[in-house]
Amino acid sequence: MKKKALTLLMAGVMAFSLTACGGASTNSGSTDNSGADSTTTEAEADADSSSSDKTVSGDAIRLLNGKPEIDAQLQELAAKYNEETGAEVVIETIGGDTNASDELKKMYQADNMPDIFVIEANQAANWDGMLADLSGEEWTDKTGFELTDDNMGTIGFPYTVEATALGYNADVLSAAGVDPASLTSPDAWKSACETLDSKKDELGITAVFGWCAEPANLGWSSGTHVFGQYLDAGLKADDTTYIDMLNDGGKIDDARMKSFAEFVGMMNQYSDPALLVDGTYDNQVAGFKDGKYAFITQGNWCVTSPEDVSFEVGFAPYAFEDGINTIIAGPPSYWVAYQDGNVDGAKAFFNWCAGDSAQDILVNKAGLVSPFDDCQYEATNPFYKSMKSYIDAGNYSGWHTMLKKDGLQNETCQVFADYAKGSIADADAFVETIKKVIESYYAE
Amino acid sequence: MEYKISNGNKPLSLVCLIAGVVMLISALVCDFAKKSLMLFGSDCRGAFLVLGAVGIFLGLFFFPTEKHHRKIINIIFLFPLLFAFAVTVIIPLVLGIGYSFTDWDGIRVKNVVGLANYTKMFTQPSFIWSILITFLFVLFNMILVNLVAFLLALLCTSKIKGMGFFRAAYFLPNLIGGIVLGYIWQFIFSNVVTKWTTALSGNQYSMLSDTKTAFIAIIIVYVWQYAGYIMLIYITGLNMIPLDVLEAAAIDGASRLQTLFNIKLPMIASTITICTFLTLTSAFKMFDVNLALTNGTGSIADFMGSYLTNGTEMLALNIYSTAVVENKYAFGEAKAVLFFIILAIVSILQVKITSSKEVEL
Repeated sequence: MKKKALTLLMAGVMAFSLTACGGASTNSGSTDNSGADSTTTEAEADADSSSSDKTVSGDAIRLLNGKPEIDAQLQELAAKYNEETGAEVVIETIGGDTNASDELKKMYQADNMPDIFVIEANQAANWDGMLADLSGEEWTDKTGFELTDDNMGTIGFPYTVEATALGYNADVLSAAGVDPASLTSPDAWKSACETLDSKKDELGITAVFGWCAEPANLGWSSGTHVFGQYLDAGLKADDTTYIDMLNDGGKIDDARMKSFAEFVGMMNQYSDPALLVDGTYDNQVAGFKDGKYAFITQGNWCVTSPEDVSFEVGFAPYAFEDGINTIIAGPPSYWVAYQDGNVDGAKAFFNWCAGDSAQDILVNKAGLVSPFDDCQYEATNPFYKSMKSYIDAGNYSGWHTMLKKDGLQNETCQVFADYAKGSIADADAFVETIKKVIESYYAE
Repeated sequence: MEYKISNGNKPLSLVCLIAGVVMLISALVCDFAKKSLMLFGSDCRGAFLVLGAVGIFLGLFFFPTEKHHRKIINIIFLFPLLFAFAVTVIIPLVLGIGYSFTDWDGIRVKNVVGLANYTKMFTQPSFIWSILITFLFVLFNMILVNLVAFLLALLCTSKIKGMGFFRAAYFLPNLIGGIVLGYIWQFIFSNVVTKWTTALSGNQYSMLSDTKTAFIAIIIVYVWQYAGYIMLIYITGLNMIPLDVLEAAAIDGASRLQTLFNIKLPMIASTITICTFLTLTSAFKMFDVNLALTNGTGSIADFMGSYLTNGTEMLALNIYSTAVVENKYAFGEAKAVLFFIILAIVSILQVKITSSKEVEL
């Protein structure tokens, strides 16, 4: 009898522990849904939130952030929003090696979608029909950087603008007598490189370029950003000539690619050999900050605070054809509102984010560059002055490199690496190889 | 042993069963319909699910049967394990096979494409290449890991001083995660080894920048990581050899080499089989070191008419990048099914061969 009681007890404990697990997850699922479920009444939502103090109250909007480096500032932004409007925003940050788009897919499968999340431009198609149309919102009048989609309308809220071109150390250039404004043709670049290279010891630099084509960890830099110069350099921001060609089965413009390849060849030639083939992002940026390189092939994100550098910095264009005078500037990613989420809450939040108190935090604390015309704050980013001069003059191109086929950068970055290493001998071989690689990737 | 049911209670059992099933089903229906189940002013969906499950178990337990009582108890006790196994292994496997016939992109299934993913994968040069180098890697590793591990085991069973230290030192790399190992070795290859290669051959770039040497680098790291673990198994095997056999050999005047080849090796044949299969399966599943060390990069100038950019990308990493980086979840799923089949064949062979060996012993 005793034995039987024990059996019964243990069976009960097992069954309970098992169902308790299942029960807990269903509970949190139901409370999470309540925010999204418009049929839930106010009272029910309240009942939900009171049943578990960990979960979000019915009206709160959830924002999935993909930039871990500004998590603290976004938390501050959410607190400010709560203070000013009484509405709640919960910031969830995805960081490290997990990227936000991958996490989003899991959230979607688990029916746990945030109301606002981050996407890159080429991911919009994946979410076709699931993103809210934000056109006509107040903030759209204040910026030209919103993301639009043919089917879904205005879908993306730009929360920052980033720029990429050849960042330069102005002190080194002026000491060498090179005027960065003159670097708008291949010939000008060539002679500038020769001058800088011959005065290396005098200027205290290791190499002219801090350019790293290492593919395993820095493939995004060569495969997406540097490759993006082929797509956009010299073009107006809305000009999609070369990205359209690329997305039409992987076609490239041979002549343009050849000029681009010659320019990259020049970068290879004048780069620091210790960095070129197997350097790291940290080495590259540290070298630039130490004044070891005159140019760096990154963007405004590599030097974010004035304390990082003891010299003036700016951007020079990748002038691989005569007259190229643009940098690539625009939002690399956007915040979008999930159609079945709290769209009104998201819209209100976006409008507030475009306003003064939010911009104060985003620009002055998070170090972002504002995409809004009426923003009164000057970004602290050392590259900001140079960026602004290009944007104000209209000399900026789009981030169309974000519209290339997913994963293409992992293929092309290897071609850049081989070119840097010398196993692709010259510009012609580079063009031929990259053409082959791109075509076969698009053919799949 | 006869086990009597003294208080089987049919009405109670039936009530529990019926109430349990009703509650469970209503909770599940509400969950799928995304409706809350309002009772007494609060959502009782979770409670219904719990109570429903408990009710079903109680009903089963009280069911008045002598014949099946033991079976029912067994099922109730096994249920947590079976449930967890089904949720984490069986259901994903079935779903995965299902997804491999669609164009799933991780978000939605738009079309069912039949066998297209399977036919496509055998015409994709980069995937064929991944299969080839995975087999090559497995072959190299099976030989090298076992050889190194066996030599280390011999060393650690000889009567040298500081044996405990050596055993611990060789085993230690196995305790470090593959990702961490990969990053540590990446640093070593691009900062330390380059100094030597520059001095020796004038090649200033690291081993990792060239496909062939990067492949060798992965093998080195993997052998370094795994040999210590296999060594432990060999040490156990070598210690199991009866001392009287070794003594007899010594008395008969067998040299050390003769003892090794004619006594020790045949005596640990079953250990060798086990270790071979352990290295075989683990080398097939190679992922973390591959990801951290080279991330699959490396170029092959001409393979099946293509310029490949995934020179060191092995099967598992290929599947991962197809799904996650290139955003082709269904295609990655199809590749994973093939991977599963390969591993299943290897495992079945392993079980067959080891069990027949055991019979011989």
